[in-house]
Amino acid sequence: MGSVSGMLRALASGSKHLAVKRFTLRYPEQKLKFVGDGYQFDPKEGVGIAGYRGRHILYHDKCTGCQLCSIACEGIAEAISMVKVDKQYKQNKKGIMPQIDYGKCVFCGLCVDACPFYALFMTDDYELAAYTKEHLIYTPDQLAVKPKYQGTYEIKIDELGAYHDE
Amino acid sequence: MGLEIDRERIPGFDVEGKDADGMDKGILTLSVGPQHPGSGHFRLIVKVDGDIIVEALPDPGYVHRGEEKMCEYRNYIQNIPHLERPMIADSCGILYPYVLAVEEICNIPVPERAKYIRVIMAELNRCIFELYWLGIYGIFLGHSTMFMWPMADRELLIDLAEMASGARVTHAYFVPGGVRNDVPDAFPEKAKRHLLYFRNRLKEYKDIFYDNPLFQARTVGVGILRREDAINLGATGPVLRASGVEHDIRKVEPYDVYDELDFKVITMNEGDSFARAYVPWLEMYESVEIALQALERMPSGPVRTKLGPNPKGAVGEVFKRVEAARGELAYYLVSDGNPKPYRVKLSVPSFREIPVMAHLLKGAKLADMPSIYWSMNYWPVEADR
Repeated sequence: MGSVSGMLRALASGSKHLAVKRFTLRYPEQKLKFVGDGYQFDPKEGVGIAGYRGRHILYHDKCTGCQLCSIACEGIAEAISMVKVDKQYKQNKKGIMPQIDYGKCVFCGLCVDACPFYALFMTDDYELAAYTKEHLIYTPDQLAVKPKYQGTYEIKIDELGAYHDE
Repeated sequence: MGLEIDRERIPGFDVEGKDADGMDKGILTLSVGPQHPGSGHFRLIVKVDGDIIVEALPDPGYVHRGEEKMCEYRNYIQNIPHLERPMIADSCGILYPYVLAVEEICNIPVPERAKYIRVIMAELNRCIFELYWLGIYGIFLGHSTMFMWPMADRELLIDLAEMASGARVTHAYFVPGGVRNDVPDAFPEKAKRHLLYFRNRLKEYKDIFYDNPLFQARTVGVGILRREDAINLGATGPVLRASGVEHDIRKVEPYDVYDELDFKVITMNEGDSFARAYVPWLEMYESVEIALQALERMPSGPVRTKLGPNPKGAVGEVFKRVEAARGELAYYLVSDGNPKPYRVKLSVPSFREIPVMAHLLKGAKLADMPSIYWSMNYWPVEADR
């Protein structure tokens, strides 16, 4: 192919995109929609349930303080440590629950796979930025709070190209 | 004139006699890297005579993490997240042979549906990596549109991978005995939509990049790797296939369900930088084709074999290899019957491109170095492990 026609074709190919909608997601005004409520695990079946692997959620009424999540994390990120909780639960005699350091966590979700009591799942919340390292450590009480993440944008594909739209 | 340069004191600039390495006078030694721009975490000691490279000495090892040793202190499941780290852009590709090896040594059956899901994810990851690499190749040849487009189109596939696995990179999705979770119900339909659109987008890359005279001027006939050199130097992956050798582990040693799927092995005979950039582009078409076929044929059923807390391997050794996005990736795993592997050895494609790189750079112009170096599909973090 001649160099002039090659250049013109390249220019034309790029210029077409002036008429195409912008692909970029305008975060944080626009946020992505995820499938489900986050990654969960069914220990009876031994298989996970698809979902985004963001910050964890801990159900205090189910956690027995068995430390399996902490043991699973030992060789991975060492992000989980067991700490004393003030409130007493009858299934949790030792009164210990996981505390997660998000400065170390790699969000692999193998702690969720390790939990046999449906107590530790993951959520859609990925906005975990903090000003200090100490604020990245989430205590059991903080982990019990359900996050308020609302993403509504998805990739739409039509004759105009692909773009993010509600 | 009064100004005299004390050339003795400028390192690498000896005009009289020979330098310490026995190189001729007037040879300038340059260090490309290990700072990030231009080479990744990797140093290339280049000796130039004027404009021509007379010797190129690759110096890897700046990002060595001891992955192999780390494996010996973790059980088979705990090894999954850290083994992805050398190659986060192709995390399913680097985990695939490990999972296959553990399945063989621990004798874990794999459900049929999981095999198909693994093939789909591996092909998505191949495209994700190749787009990432193509973007970098584009920007290093001064074509910034070719940086923006692959990075945006990559998002379509990352979206799919995130939908299935829950993470945008470092999926940690493959486990011995299948995959972590079943794909959502909406996945096959969305995957088809995204993959078909992505295949149309690939055509536009040809117009703006591969047919572009500016790109061709910098790559056609640059760094020609002959067929016999490619074989003797141990090149692998797209680099090998661009030199006319039809070798693909997916065909030679089919794993999971690749033997049931219909696809071509892409080869080109030129062996220059252009061919090495063109083969991955053609392979992305094949990847889309494989993923679409696998989506069509995917049976229903379980996706994961239930494992005990600490699966133990039988005493013995196993060698498994797959075709990752950069070439042949192999694991050699020795077990002494404990829940932790006795020895894990990774053979990574990037490391095997180092002798090829040194061979091709010798005699090339210094200005051709980026176009040769980045066409190698070389990834320093993976090579150092």
